[in-house]
Amino acid sequence: MKRAIRSVKALSVAVVACLGVAACSPATSDPAQTGSPGAPQATEMTFWHNATTGDGKAFWDNLVSEFEASHPGVTIRAQAVQNEDFDGKLQTALNSPDAPDVFMQRGGLKMHDMVDAGLLRDVSGAVTDTQREELGQGAIEAMTYQDKVWAMPDTILPGGIWYSQDLFDKAGITEAPKTMDDLFAAIDKLKAAGITPIALGAKDAWPAAHWYYWLALRECSPETLDATIEARKFEDQCWTKAGESLEKLVAAKPFQDGLLTTPAQQGAGSSAGLLANHKAAMELMGAWNAGVIKDLTPNKEPLADLSWFPFPEIPGSKGAPGAVMGGMGGYSCSADAPEQLCFEFLQTIVKADSQIAYYKAFSVPPLNSKAKEAVTEPFNIAIMDGLANASFVSDWLDTRLGQNVGNALNTAVVDLLAGKGDAQHLIDSVNAAAAKE
Amino acid sequence: MSWRERGEIALMSAPALILFLGFVIFPVITAAYYGFFKWKGYGPPIDFVWFENYRIILTDPAFLDTLRHNAFILVFSLVMQGPLAILVALLLNKKMRGRSIVRVLIFVPYVISEVIVGIGWSLMLQSGGALDETLRNMGLDWLIRDWLADPSIAIWTLMIIITWKYLGFAVIIMLAGLQGIPEELAEAAAVDGASYWQTQWRITLPLLGPTIRIWAFLSIIGSLQLFDLVYIIWGQYISSTAGTSTMATYMALTGRLSGNYGYGNAVAVVIFFISLTVALIYQRFVLRRDTEGALTGGN
Repeated sequence: MKRAIRSVKALSVAVVACLGVAACSPATSDPAQTGSPGAPQATEMTFWHNATTGDGKAFWDNLVSEFEASHPGVTIRAQAVQNEDFDGKLQTALNSPDAPDVFMQRGGLKMHDMVDAGLLRDVSGAVTDTQREELGQGAIEAMTYQDKVWAMPDTILPGGIWYSQDLFDKAGITEAPKTMDDLFAAIDKLKAAGITPIALGAKDAWPAAHWYYWLALRECSPETLDATIEARKFEDQCWTKAGESLEKLVAAKPFQDGLLTTPAQQGAGSSAGLLANHKAAMELMGAWNAGVIKDLTPNKEPLADLSWFPFPEIPGSKGAPGAVMGGMGGYSCSADAPEQLCFEFLQTIVKADSQIAYYKAFSVPPLNSKAKEAVTEPFNIAIMDGLANASFVSDWLDTRLGQNVGNALNTAVVDLLAGKGDAQHLIDSVNAAAAKE
Repeated sequence: MSWRERGEIALMSAPALILFLGFVIFPVITAAYYGFFKWKGYGPPIDFVWFENYRIILTDPAFLDTLRHNAFILVFSLVMQGPLAILVALLLNKKMRGRSIVRVLIFVPYVISEVIVGIGWSLMLQSGGALDETLRNMGLDWLIRDWLADPSIAIWTLMIIITWKYLGFAVIIMLAGLQGIPEELAEAAAVDGASYWQTQWRITLPLLGPTIRIWAFLSIIGSLQLFDLVYIIWGQYISSTAGTSTMATYMALTGRLSGNYGYGNAVAVVIFFISLTVALIYQRFVLRRDTEGALTGGN
């Protein structure tokens, strides 16, 4: 999901923001925001995002120029860094004196590493009551570490199952699956109708791992989930049970042929492409998927019969009913960034009108509650409702576990799909990876 | 040696020496340094762990798998490409129509970038790809396999792609070697009544020895460091599942992709020492005869 979240992030935010000077005026009375006393007013900031092309880049350019217009004498030097190069370049830059002042933040353990190395500025001062109210306490908490906020959250994109209504109708499935048993029944019906039930881009590993994450979210109580991630020891039985549920799913053979060499998002042969071209009925994917699918349909138009349902429940399990998992993202200031200017820029990114434009351009649900009224697509409304009603919201498990353990977990799930390991192998791999850091 | 001569030597060798020290020796030393730390890449490394990274590498089943894969690739590169290259070179060494065209065609795959080769082959070999369709149209459905992802086949698929890619290089080298063998020897053998194959076996092959040994050396080093084809065809994550991971892809996955920079550096050092050891042993026991007399004293 990282990749996907990045590409959405790329698109994320901003935009028409700051159409008027007044709308952009930073103004806040929070004392933390007034900058160090006596420091000269900064006039220049560097800003890194990952939207290198098209609408995304145009949006950022727009946001930046509007921000500059409302801050006379201020120059924002925006740089679009290719998504796959982003982390590597950012890391080098953060270790040098040329760190970007504002940059895209993926959160999770990586953010903790940056904080521990003293590379980030505490942005708690930029998060006023307005932001807490509009963005939601959960999103702020996701960017909080050691009681301080280190990034302004601008998006939460939860996962769920995307499906083709036409193919469901064709197979005689009248209602979207609510439980895993329903899902198995739907798989049988689709197979009987000669339709590949589920598309899966296992070449990228994380889309495969998402099946395990969701099963774990259903099998494990929120407390167990948090405690396990904290200790990074997969000891509770619920982790094994989730692995066994996955084995059961694999045994039902719901996925397309050649799943290990199928990527998630590139080209018509990708899992998103299979759904976009009605070659498969379902895909488990994050909220950015509608945009990805749109680019992969034959006419590059939104898929007309695209629908969405939340990941099925497992009745009687320990997981919180309706628990949601998704990717969170935001923007950070580096340690030497000019405080006040940086805070104002972060606030601009998440303003309601910025977020409305963000949604309109990319049809993913905005994080800002004031922007939510603009949403019209049924699937986006369903996604937002699920999020609003969730008793427990978790970031993707691999983000929470960090790249090292997360990668090991992802690859172990792929092994399981390929028949090279069982539920126990999954748990062993994760425990072994934890030793490497 | 006069000061003037010394000055000339220093002046002439300095640029190469500086580049070598700066871009080969210095990175090796820094890799060795970082390899002693647990380091996530942010800020300076501070968590010094002695040989802990090395202990984990050498006991990690995933790394031991890559060693097996590299050994397999090394052996089968030699076994598959060597004899084939010699045969093709012998053929192309004969005077025949269209010889230069065939020479060029055989060399073409070597010139194509690894990225293009990797993407091209993976598109042809994917499930339902060109190969599967061809087999289906020929009525050979029972032959269809998951060429890239089935762990019992994938490494053979890799070997075939490697052979296709690098055979041209071996052929060119062998051809060059063949050009250096005087024709008179073959003529003398023919006068003595030797058949074509007897001549090749008893005269050409032994005289081609130095060329074969040098080619084998290059092939061995290439096999130990194989990265690009695997990384492109199997992506960042599934090569170990498919059974085609190499030491270098392991380094990329557990080092950079996992954000364990200290660990990744330690893996680099291990690969360096394995390659160095193999190279030194090969130099000492195989190449020695060929390089003897090639070096001259300073005077």
